[in-house]
Amino acid sequence: MTGVRTDTGTTGAMATAASADRIATPATAAAAPTARKRRRSLTDVLIAAWGVLGLLFLFFPVIVIIVYSFNTGRQLRSWDGFGFSSYENALSNPTIVATIQVSILAAAGSAVVSTILGSLAGVALARRPSARWVGWLTLLLGLIMVTPEIVNAVSLLPWFVDLSNTWNLSIFSIGQVRLIVAHSLFSCAVVTFIVRARMAGVDESLEEAAADLGAPPLRRFLDITFPLMRPAVISGALLAFTLSLDNTVLSSFVSVAGSTPWPVYVFASLRATLRPEIAAVSTLMLGLTLIALALVGLVLRRASKTTGDTNGGLAATLVG
Amino acid sequence: MPEKSDVRLLLPASMTGHVSRRLFLGGLLGAGATAALAACSTGSGSGGSGGSGELNIYTWGEYDDPDVLSAFTKEAGPKITIDSYGSNQEMIAKLVAAAGTSGYDICLPTHQYIPQMAASDLLEELDLDKIPNFSNVDPAYIDQSFDPGNKYSVPKAWGSTGYAYDTTAIPRELTSWADFWEVAQNEASGSLSLLEDPGELAYAYFFANGIDPLTTDEGHLEEYRKFIVEKIAPHVQTFESYPGASITGNARILAMAFNGDARAGILENEDPDRWRYVTPSEGGNLWQDNWVIVKGAPNVDAAHEFINYVLDPEVSLKELLYIGYHTGIKDIEQAAIDAGAELPELIFFTPEQTEKLVFAELNEAEQAYVDIYDELTASAGQ
Amino acid sequence: MAVDAAVRTAPAARTGGRRLRWSIGMLALPISVWLVFFFIVPFGLILWYSFGDKPSLYVTHSNDVLSLDRYVEAVSPAFLQTFGRTLEISVVGTILCLLIAFPMAYWMATKLSPRRQGLVLALVLIPYWTNFLVRTIGWQITLSPEGFLSEGLQALGLRDGPLEVLYTMPAVQLGVVYNYLPLMILPLYVALERMDHRLLEASRDLGANAFESFRRVTLPLALPGIAAGMLLVFVPLMGDYITPSVLGGAQGGMVGQMVAGQFNRAQNWALGSAMAVILMLAILATVVIFALVARLVGSVLGRVQRVDLSAALPQQGGAR
Repeated sequence: MTGVRTDTGTTGAMATAASADRIATPATAAAAPTARKRRRSLTDVLIAAWGVLGLLFLFFPVIVIIVYSFNTGRQLRSWDGFGFSSYENALSNPTIVATIQVSILAAAGSAVVSTILGSLAGVALARRPSARWVGWLTLLLGLIMVTPEIVNAVSLLPWFVDLSNTWNLSIFSIGQVRLIVAHSLFSCAVVTFIVRARMAGVDESLEEAAADLGAPPLRRFLDITFPLMRPAVISGALLAFTLSLDNTVLSSFVSVAGSTPWPVYVFASLRATLRPEIAAVSTLMLGLTLIALALVGLVLRRASKTTGDTNGGLAATLVG
Repeated sequence: MPEKSDVRLLLPASMTGHVSRRLFLGGLLGAGATAALAACSTGSGSGGSGGSGELNIYTWGEYDDPDVLSAFTKEAGPKITIDSYGSNQEMIAKLVAAAGTSGYDICLPTHQYIPQMAASDLLEELDLDKIPNFSNVDPAYIDQSFDPGNKYSVPKAWGSTGYAYDTTAIPRELTSWADFWEVAQNEASGSLSLLEDPGELAYAYFFANGIDPLTTDEGHLEEYRKFIVEKIAPHVQTFESYPGASITGNARILAMAFNGDARAGILENEDPDRWRYVTPSEGGNLWQDNWVIVKGAPNVDAAHEFINYVLDPEVSLKELLYIGYHTGIKDIEQAAIDAGAELPELIFFTPEQTEKLVFAELNEAEQAYVDIYDELTASAGQ
Repeated sequence: MAVDAAVRTAPAARTGGRRLRWSIGMLALPISVWLVFFFIVPFGLILWYSFGDKPSLYVTHSNDVLSLDRYVEAVSPAFLQTFGRTLEISVVGTILCLLIAFPMAYWMATKLSPRRQGLVLALVLIPYWTNFLVRTIGWQITLSPEGFLSEGLQALGLRDGPLEVLYTMPAVQLGVVYNYLPLMILPLYVALERMDHRLLEASRDLGANAFESFRRVTLPLALPGIAAGMLLVFVPLMGDYITPSVLGGAQGGMVGQMVAGQFNRAQNWALGSAMAVILMLAILATVVIFALVARLVGSVLGRVQRVDLSAALPQQGGAR
């Protein structure tokens, strides 16, 4: 850690993964195959077995859910018979459909908000690493990243109620608004770190040249800065979207009747009756995502050869 | 600098990462696919979520026949969304915290909480003129002490609390609360489910020990606290609001339960004879849940309309057959038996049983119940 | 540096540079306002509540009398017991994640061809596209005493009675290890994937055995990944209350549930706030201590390593 970041304080370790691009290194993958030519030792076999077992472990409950989505019984947990009734029921259940719509809308909203705020802050942090406010902002972002969701949740609810009742800002009694705001907090920090990491490695002289040539700030931003940070912005937005879709704790505290997101619906049914419909919807969502991923994978296989994308970036991005 | 052959400086290099387009595009497509799923499924659903035409009901789990709800939407229009809670405390906490912004139109508090909820400005007054079917309710269940003149509430259903056990694990016959607590510490240890309801647990102890369940005596409460935290906590496997599902799956061998939920769970079990429900001989808590309209309800008219709808004798019968609780409508018992209700003894009590049921009241012991419950959950299962 | 040059050569550019500097700093303003308004202020609110009390049954909090009594009340034996259990689950969970993830990440990063790496990485991430809660429900189905696993084990004669894992602490432990494992794998993978394989060869050439190479080359290089992974797992784990709610039953309760309970059952915001503040402080303290230790270990290891290898590397060059 020593050489990596000293300015991020407690969140240094989290930021490290994202702050990757700061130091550009040539990919070392080319050197790897020669090392791998060695005869397979027992250790190698054991390690490979461990890796495969680990993957099975990760997939295990997902497979269970997929299998149980074909349960025709009334309760998810007690297997009754094989059939597709849960899929029919799920798609004809207006409540389930509504919760998915709420979730997607909230995810899109919080992705937009956190991407805008985080990208701007990321640029500012990358360009002015020694300004006085940098320490404070980094501390603030770090605090958000180490605050457990439950603490955020219990503090936001009274605040939203205060805002809508005492301050008469009725916009904060709208469930969708509350969800977007609540989900955006953590994502803001994530996007900021990703964008900062990207922009820290980029030379500022291009923008200065543009400024010297008389380009107005907005023009400079759109023509030069934005294209440079686009990959980081897209990854940040995507991550914000995913994080929001998965959020249960914050949502269950701040959501308002009529705008219940999908995870809160699942959590509530867990306490009453867990029906196979829940597994059916999850399976459908997973299936569609996988098909999309596979298509993109095929399309991009050729493209990625030339762009030199590395898998490490993928992981680094997800880690935030 | 990075070129220097210094391992320390290779550390940051090891963290280098580029953004993978494949992931981003893949993810975006994934998101799009999900959106498409939602969009196409809207088509097959009943759809039509007009802002004013919605009715949000905050209720106990599995407390309405889904067919009744969809029939109402078909007849009257408002789309119904159900959220459920596991205890009155949870429901009240939500309403208090939201201070009128919860978005719920209707909720179903148990009778003893209604006076305080009304006093705390959580309830809207009912307009009984908009509920003509109120006349169908058996006079025994109206104008009760907790809500004189039915200013805020009309009855939804009433029932009692008992317990169910797996006869393959506990072959002997259990009949009382004393048996319950005794078995809980022996055969059922580690496979015991208690209700997620602070008051119910206290009542069950007081009944078993011949103490007035409505006691506020500090000595009694302390006795109860000691008993449940020290004697019972180690044997609890889980706290549930609706153990019916675990009864169906034989997940536990002893579960404290409401009669209707236990009945539903037993009926769903592949071998219903395996389970027995006990209406304890010492007596039990008699509770009555009531329809109320929440203060700040976005759709007061639809709420009245819905309450009126469910008080129709035929609709009420459907509800009763689904939930397994007496709905308080005149002559509903005979109608249910004529309709061939299964396990009627778990829905309707004998006069001797009814005599021993005690109508719960909210008193100063409530805070103690909650505190003791917190202590119990923290020390359970150790 | 570019600015300096511009300043020296063209006086006209000076103002442009300054304007650029000022306006870039302003980009951090929106996020700061947003986070102060929706994170700091709400947290201040519960900090304030935590000094008050709960005056009556349906009143959640009051600050008429200020005291530290709620903190005294919060650290009740019941709370401390749950807190201790939470800490135990979190520490054990973090260590287990590390032990499981390290060989997996090592396998992915060093034993697979780049194309396979991409595939395996995708396989690690795919389960993550299924909702957190739904995956946990998958475990609930699996572990249930009447579930397929229990019946399978009995049929095979491996168990006499039904499986009794669900609603116990081991179930929660399994659930959290499962849920947070990818957060450990990813940063480790990032760290190991970028490792220069020539270093390993060098250490072998210099006569180090496999274990020695691992200890003196691989491990120090993976250290930032280890630190990042441990933080990413530990922090959300401490505040988790979904996993114990699904798998824990009465026995596996965690402190997040206690905090939530004060808000969504007991309506004691004063006490709940005090608990939330304590939880937050405990996590902050852990993170700070951890960061200090990690930095110390890193610098010690780095120093030792530097001496060894800066001497070794030129020789490697010679050996080729």
